[in-house]
Amino acid sequence: MTSREDPSERIGAVDGPLPLALIAASLAFAVVVLVYVALARTPDWGLLGFAGALEAGALVLLVIAAVQVGGVELGGRAVTLFGYLLAALVVLPIGFVWSLAERSRGATAVLAVVGLTEAFLVVRALQIWPS
Amino acid sequence: MSTADRSTRIGAGRVLVAVYGVFALAATARSLVQLLTKAGEAPVAYGLSALAAVVYVAATLGLAEVGPEPRRLAWAAVGFELVGVLTVGTLTVLDPELFPDATVWSAYGAGYGWLPLVLPVAGIAWLLHTRHRT
Repeated sequence: MTSREDPSERIGAVDGPLPLALIAASLAFAVVVLVYVALARTPDWGLLGFAGALEAGALVLLVIAAVQVGGVELGGRAVTLFGYLLAALVVLPIGFVWSLAERSRGATAVLAVVGLTEAFLVVRALQIWPS
Repeated sequence: MSTADRSTRIGAGRVLVAVYGVFALAATARSLVQLLTKAGEAPVAYGLSALAAVVYVAATLGLAEVGPEPRRLAWAAVGFELVGVLTVGTLTVLDPELFPDATVWSAYGAGYGWLPLVLPVAGIAWLLHTRHRT
């Protein structure tokens, strides 16, 4: 039943604030990376920590979705939903491996692509989730 | 392959490979879902999605220099990709009924921020840019 509105339960809901925060943080990450590229700075531990926080958020979102998926009507789109959420989980590590193999502006800019992709994936997952 | 060619996966090429990788992953996943769950609904569109997925995977591998003839693979993939997006784009603009379900190349990739049209051009430009010079 989705008609019941309990604010305390919505904090940890898929259609709650977590995915929105994740989208905003992913876009912010992309912007920070572009600043790094503009300044010709190489990725540092701060950037890695930022990405680690995004990864943790993606993992929490996946777990929440897995717990709540039984309570909503998704039809045949559950596969697509978890496809997006799993992709959101793997895109950061893969992007980092690809980026850190080289020290150049181009390699750093890869992380901006990663941030934009992460935001896009969470947006699509949100669109599938019935509100 | 000329050994004097410069690498296609360093510098700006790394970003290009990353973007192609995202498209390869997305197109492959979308195509698998379409073919496994509703293959009969729009076989032409879904077959085309699968073909596009193969092309994006090939372009990613070629530009990332995986395999024995990566530059040749990359050229074939981005060339095919350009022809594909122009052909399918034109067909879908002239006759929207032709493909009942959208593909990545429909309307020149407008549904994907025009990236399907920009990518092959960027790929070809990068392959020319990294070609050996005498």
